[in-house]
Amino acid sequence: MEVLTGWWDDYFWGAVIVAKVFIASLSLMILFGLIGAGAKLSNSRVAQKIAGAYTVIFRGTPEILVILLLYFGSAILLTSIAQIFNPEIKFVDVPPFWAGTIAISIIVGSYATETFRGAFLGVNPGSIEAARALGMSTLQTFIYIRIPEMWRIALPPFGNHMLSLIKDTALISIIGLNETLFVAKQAITVTGKPFTMYIVVGAIYLGFSSVITLAVMAIEKFGNRTTIDAK
Amino acid sequence: MDSMTDTETRPLIKMIKVNKFFGPFQALKNIDLEVYKGEKIVICGPSGSGKSTLIRCINRLEEHNDGNIIIDGIELTDKVEDIDAVRREVGMVFQSFNLFPHMTIAKNLMIAQQLVRKTPKAKAREIAMLYLERVKIPEQADKYPIQLSGGQQQRVAIARALCMRPEIILFDEPTSALDPEMINEVLDVMIDLARDGMTMVCVTHEMGFARSVADRVIFMDAGEIVEQAEPAEFFDNPENERTKVFLNQILSH
Amino acid sequence: MSFDLSLILESLPLMLAGIGITLKLLLVSGFLGLILAVALLLMRISGKFYLDWPAQAYIYVFRGTPILVQIFIIYYGLPQFEAVRDSIFWHILREPTGCAIVALTLNTGAYVSEILRGGVLGVDRGLLEAGSALGMSARHKFVYITTPIATRLSLPAYSNDVISLLKSTALASTITIADMTGIARTIVADTYAPYEIFISLAIVYMIFTLGLQKLFGVIERYLGRYTRRDG
Repeated sequence: MEVLTGWWDDYFWGAVIVAKVFIASLSLMILFGLIGAGAKLSNSRVAQKIAGAYTVIFRGTPEILVILLLYFGSAILLTSIAQIFNPEIKFVDVPPFWAGTIAISIIVGSYATETFRGAFLGVNPGSIEAARALGMSTLQTFIYIRIPEMWRIALPPFGNHMLSLIKDTALISIIGLNETLFVAKQAITVTGKPFTMYIVVGAIYLGFSSVITLAVMAIEKFGNRTTIDAK
Repeated sequence: MDSMTDTETRPLIKMIKVNKFFGPFQALKNIDLEVYKGEKIVICGPSGSGKSTLIRCINRLEEHNDGNIIIDGIELTDKVEDIDAVRREVGMVFQSFNLFPHMTIAKNLMIAQQLVRKTPKAKAREIAMLYLERVKIPEQADKYPIQLSGGQQQRVAIARALCMRPEIILFDEPTSALDPEMINEVLDVMIDLARDGMTMVCVTHEMGFARSVADRVIFMDAGEIVEQAEPAEFFDNPENERTKVFLNQILSH
Repeated sequence: MSFDLSLILESLPLMLAGIGITLKLLLVSGFLGLILAVALLLMRISGKFYLDWPAQAYIYVFRGTPILVQIFIIYYGLPQFEAVRDSIFWHILREPTGCAIVALTLNTGAYVSEILRGGVLGVDRGLLEAGSALGMSARHKFVYITTPIATRLSLPAYSNDVISLLKSTALASTITIADMTGIARTIVADTYAPYEIFISLAIVYMIFTLGLQKLFGVIERYLGRYTRRDG
């Protein structure tokens, strides 16, 4: 494809940004998911209510709205805070990278909240009782019984959350992050070949999705080795 | 043995040197079996001995790998019309009942009549009610399977098979999934059927049933028919060492 | 920074004017997507590799790439080809709404077919054996046993996908469509009041989501009536 000559570098760096957003948002998503699940499982009514609202709100609102709100909203918020200290400041620019990363991790974190909660509750109570009956301490039970079983339950939906994250990174181009879609847009204004340029973006994302899918499959196989042996 | 009086010369079920493999595992080894009209056969044996596989080959829920299976003169091959014809002759009752959960009891009994036998709806319902009477639960006709006890569900399953007016009924461990107190209500229905002269092949561990109803008891182990005899002979004088061990295990409690 | 209530009261009717387009996108793509999903499902369970493989490839590509990229490829990309511009589809594809519907349909079809397949695979094998033993043909078993049970099994996941589709309709705003989100973005560009506008719009979407959940809850209860002992 001749028209692509000269654009590969830009696509490559766009893909690097996608990967960076993915890694940053993955860590935040796990954090939000664990906090949310912890709150839902806690004894505090208030924490339960807040976590409940968190999941309802972000599962019912379009991703693009959340991204736009966080980007423009935080800019206004930060500007007004900054003006308290220095009235001269006209506008504080929020980096789209962080606005977008935080937005998509909050969104997917609301799904992860349910996944982690379900995994915690899905552990066979018989296994826990058996461990306690054998004299294992609470901590030992948690480490040797609960965590491995939770992990096995949570992994398949967690894989889907990772796929959601990687695909949601494309939305961040809307607020001007110079990832692959942004690169394509620039390339189109120069070359006039929109199909070609966007197909490359699609291929890049398909590559990312495939790597994630394969990784999850490999981990799943490793995690399920005990259940397979039993057969 | 009144059933022997109408035994014909041609067997209803004829299996010749039947072999069946699941991958490298041989589930059936050189099975030879003949069942005549009106005969009641009980097949027993340890789990994994191939007894379920054997009866599932009779209506081709499993395909045998070689040998011949001939049901009422029709040889089971890949031919779909032949399979359909055989399945119309052969009813089956499963361990886990397998009633259609989304249909009422009556509909469970009517659906195959309507689709397979092309019986009009009113007539199908009439036949359904007739057999529900026979298994003594006509009042449950408009309930869903989940609302019935296990024993009642299995009786419905038997009635469903009977609605197709089969020549033969296969029972695949019909009481194994039942709570102990429900076993007898199902066995009573089966005994009743046997008295009417139905040809029956039953995989079961109910040795009391075998002793009182069966014309022949077959013992299988490791995919082979190890021994077959009339029940009195089978239970009191088993010949094969493996049969003795098995009977000892299940009768010693 | 302040929260301007009167602005919300002014803008809400403007945004709600886009409700028709949002609903049209949701209903038309939802309906067409379901038809596509059933076709893909039948291809996948046909047992014929020349039907199964293309369906698998299709699902893999459409689930592995961001919906935004799919929308851009269809809206900006396809007109690159003269053949497309000369084809009978051009009167659909030259309209942004037509493109959005095509993209949303193709996308949701891929997801829904996998949901339906999960339902089909969830049907107890014993029931199909019982059907065989009663002499029912493959077609009869599919229509009278598999379909009703698989429908019930896939409904919860399907309702989630319809909600995802609702959220995805907001992406139509990226190709100049004046759905609710599109109108909101215009208002924010004029008033620079992202909090008021985006939050009130998010609430509108949430109400929609809750409505859909309620609706599917009713259908689920109806289809699941035979799974409860009390009838």
